[in-house]
Amino acid sequence: MTSILPYRPSTGGAGPSSSHTRRSSNARSESIASNRDDGLQDSPQRNNKTLNGHSRTPSTQSSIPAAHPSTAPKRKAALLKSQYPANSTENHVEYILVASFDIDRGSVMEHQYPGPISGDEHMLAELMLPDQTHTRSQDWTIFFLHKDTTAEDEAKEERREKRRQRRKQIENRRRDAQEGNGEGGGELEDEGSIDSEDDEDEDAVINGPPLIYVLNLVNTKLDTTVKRGSVVKSMAICTRHSFLHIYKPLLLLALETYFQAPTQETLALLYHAVNSMDLSLMPKMSYFERSILQSSDAKDMFVEKFEQMIQQRMAEDAARQHLSPTSSDGKPSKRFTIPRDTHEFESKVQYNGVPVPIKVPTAIAPETVGDFSLIKLITTFASGHSRSPEQFQTHPHLTTSGPLTHPIIVLLNALLTQKRVIFLGHNQPSGEVAEAVLAACSLASGGILRGFTRHAFPYTDLTKIDDLLKVPGFVAGVTNPAFAHKPEWWDLLCDLPSGKMKISPKIESASVTEGIQFFQQQQASLSNGRSASDSSASGISGVMGMSVPGLSSHSNTSAHSDAAGDAAFMDSVMHSINSRHGEAAVRSKFRAYVIKFTRLAAAFEESVYGASAIYIGVGNPSAGESATSPLAASPSTSSTSPTTAIEHHNNGSSSTDPQLAGHGYVWPSEEARIRELAANIHRIEGWRNTRSYYAFISDLAVIYTRRPIKDLDLSHLHDRLRSLKLGSDATASIYLALANRIRTYEEVCQLLATVADSSDTGGGAGGGGAGGSGGSAATSYGGGKAGLFWIGLGLFHQRADVREGVVGLLERIKEHEAGRHFWAGLGRFAKLAFFRIKRERESAGNGR
Amino acid sequence: MGGQISKMMNRIFGSKEMRLLMLGLDAAGKTTILYKLKLDQDVTTIPTVGFNVETVTYKNTKFNVWDVGGQDKIRPLWRHYFSGTQGLIFVIDSNDRDRMDEARTELTRIIQDREMKDALLLVFANKQDIKGCMKPADVSNALKLDSVAKNHIWKVEPSCATTGEGIFEGLAWLSSHVKTPAQK
Repeated sequence: MTSILPYRPSTGGAGPSSSHTRRSSNARSESIASNRDDGLQDSPQRNNKTLNGHSRTPSTQSSIPAAHPSTAPKRKAALLKSQYPANSTENHVEYILVASFDIDRGSVMEHQYPGPISGDEHMLAELMLPDQTHTRSQDWTIFFLHKDTTAEDEAKEERREKRRQRRKQIENRRRDAQEGNGEGGGELEDEGSIDSEDDEDEDAVINGPPLIYVLNLVNTKLDTTVKRGSVVKSMAICTRHSFLHIYKPLLLLALETYFQAPTQETLALLYHAVNSMDLSLMPKMSYFERSILQSSDAKDMFVEKFEQMIQQRMAEDAARQHLSPTSSDGKPSKRFTIPRDTHEFESKVQYNGVPVPIKVPTAIAPETVGDFSLIKLITTFASGHSRSPEQFQTHPHLTTSGPLTHPIIVLLNALLTQKRVIFLGHNQPSGEVAEAVLAACSLASGGILRGFTRHAFPYTDLTKIDDLLKVPGFVAGVTNPAFAHKPEWWDLLCDLPSGKMKISPKIESASVTEGIQFFQQQQASLSNGRSASDSSASGISGVMGMSVPGLSSHSNTSAHSDAAGDAAFMDSVMHSINSRHGEAAVRSKFRAYVIKFTRLAAAFEESVYGASAIYIGVGNPSAGESATSPLAASPSTSSTSPTTAIEHHNNGSSSTDPQLAGHGYVWPSEEARIRELAANIHRIEGWRNTRSYYAFISDLAVIYTRRPIKDLDLSHLHDRLRSLKLGSDATASIYLALANRIRTYEEVCQLLATVADSSDTGGGAGGGGAGGSGGSAATSYGGGKAGLFWIGLGLFHQRADVREGVVGLLERIKEHEAGRHFWAGLGRFAKLAFFRIKRERESAGNGR
Repeated sequence: MGGQISKMMNRIFGSKEMRLLMLGLDAAGKTTILYKLKLDQDVTTIPTVGFNVETVTYKNTKFNVWDVGGQDKIRPLWRHYFSGTQGLIFVIDSNDRDRMDEARTELTRIIQDREMKDALLLVFANKQDIKGCMKPADVSNALKLDSVAKNHIWKVEPSCATTGEGIFEGLAWLSSHVKTPAQK
């Protein structure tokens, strides 16, 4: 243990720890400064002034972690930032609109507050008064606006650019300084605040300016006193927040008020009410923290952060009162309460004297807009399928398990391969179709992939068809049955009332790509060279069957065995729904599914193209020189036979310890690998040219810079522990690597996020080499959260140093803000072992 | 299976499907006609936002009737409903003499659209129950159907949506004159 060198980051590339120290502390002091400054926000000039003054203020983590191996990784006592600072220039709500249906002129915009929104006003009014709204008294609609870049946005972008340059300068300066005085190791510390700072920047870079989300309520009131007997009015809230559903109660109240008082003041009242909503006590979180919170059910996960926000606020208030004693007019100090569930932040909006409670989600996954239900979407289409399975017209991208592919899988495939998807809800409220569209976006995103909502039209109508058809690949919600008669407008039609899906007879056929050909050639030559054992032969023949681009052979191979594991996956989803595990459980299943899909795609790219655009890290030249671990010396060069078969594909350029150098998805056997990839090649190739694929590449690059541990693929190592029968030497090096490398707050976060994501995924890997079919997938998908189980298993390792290391690691996790919840979920058996080893160590220490 | 048999029966007994588009100026009575056809009831209607669509079976013909709102501003949206239409029902408020020119302009624009070239034209001279309203011949003159619809088979049917007078006669005429089988 004591031989561990301090972690020295590679000087090239993103230059992680020490430079970050400066950057983050500096960014923090800057934010403090600007917090205090009401006039100027984020003024770049003050940066230089604060640089020297503040850069050393936060006490740093011990610079050589190995010196105190069991030190609890504490988040630094730095100031936490708010997700929505009170002094932000950005309003919660940007516009309030009111439209009405004029009996002479049709849909017209009546009022806009605070000013006219740019764009086609008439088109907006039409969207605000959805088709057939005269047939129901109330309807909710959602639609998105792609607002042009305004001067305001440009200014924002400019500020971001300046900030980026500034950081770069500081980083360079730091690096020079560091090289000069040979300061070793660097201070490892949390990157929380800077991370979230970066997040926004990067989001904007990748996705362009954020969408404006519009929540719209329309009421039809019968009124015999008016000409033609009815009044139809709608009010909309336009916001940059994706959690727009929180405004529903307010819109209900405000529209009612507007019917009584149809004036601009009614809009102003709502506008000011919602914008005075105080979310300033909602802490910002880093990428990994958000990821952990999303996947956790614990209601007090990260409650410490909320407590700290309150303490900071109380300290600030106290300081302010101290500074200006005149203003302390004996106002009763606000009572701050810690949230009952940290997944939501509770606030209030005072509207017209009525306090309206609001719950804002704390950690929002990308592509999550509004309050849709995946369960509702899935049951709508699954129940029809289970009653009388529908034969789909086959398409390699969509019907990945033949004509009887589960409709939800067809939908998922359609979105992944960027098809034109339409949800049709004739005679349904437009809110229903909008919900389905939003659910579909989240389904395919899994909180991982992006680019679906940006090309989603939760509600649209026939009159916008020309614009819609210009979008290559979309998901749209409509209520007009005319869409059903126009198969040239869509690739997949999802009819909500009947729960049936239809693939368009006019869908563009999938081309046979180079990747598919390479893969097939590869497998063919492989099978020739090999003495064909039974299992591999069947695996290969399955692949060969697909080389004939005919549809029949395609359906043949996958219809019998559930090679892609999709049927098993949907079974487990349906089981989860039927057992009422809840929406979160279902969402996490799809998250796992999408993560697995991306990892399969990466493995496929590496196997066919030699390298993958969607993998950064070990074995990737761009990752820079990975730190040479002293662990490489541990005697584990002889790896077990099943691993070598896989390893030789995954092996990277840097060959330190072969047990640690691997990366990517883990299969129990080469046959399983080929079978699974073969079942997925079509949709992988279909995905490889899509927006979500390219967004994923850039997202990965961003996440990579956030990763405190860059030279180990933690999920790969964790998967190896869980799905391979490794020798004790192999497991020893994995456990020791984890124990030695995971020390700081953020490093533990990274491990926890990995463990949380990998907990109910695994697919075929989990089942071991049971040659047959995807039955293995069922077991692994069905399994609950593994949590720290596989880490805890290291407590029973035959080598004492491994056991010691794992104890150290678990100690750090146990003391960790989020880790303590994972520790609580660890089995009793492992906990007992943990305490036993600790006792033994103490008594040994005493005896010495 | 069942579907196949009924399709065969349809062929034998001459049952057919027909897609109709019902347009007209606002407040002409389109929605009232639609629900008179569908429910054989006089319903109180309010302005249509967007469209209504109903399927009506009459004398072995399944009519798919689209009724699209008629306000000035939304008339340009009508064209989206043209494709696949076999019969246009144009509804006239026979008592609204002031807007007869406006009606003619709209009708001309619709019926001369390329996508409507094969459509039958049925004009309902509606609201015949109002005293002093224009008679069918007056309506056809006012609309200049002889020139406007010279490339179409057309008919003006006097109607009263609230009583149902003329409505089914109009459907019968459409049914007997439709040539091309419905394209599904």
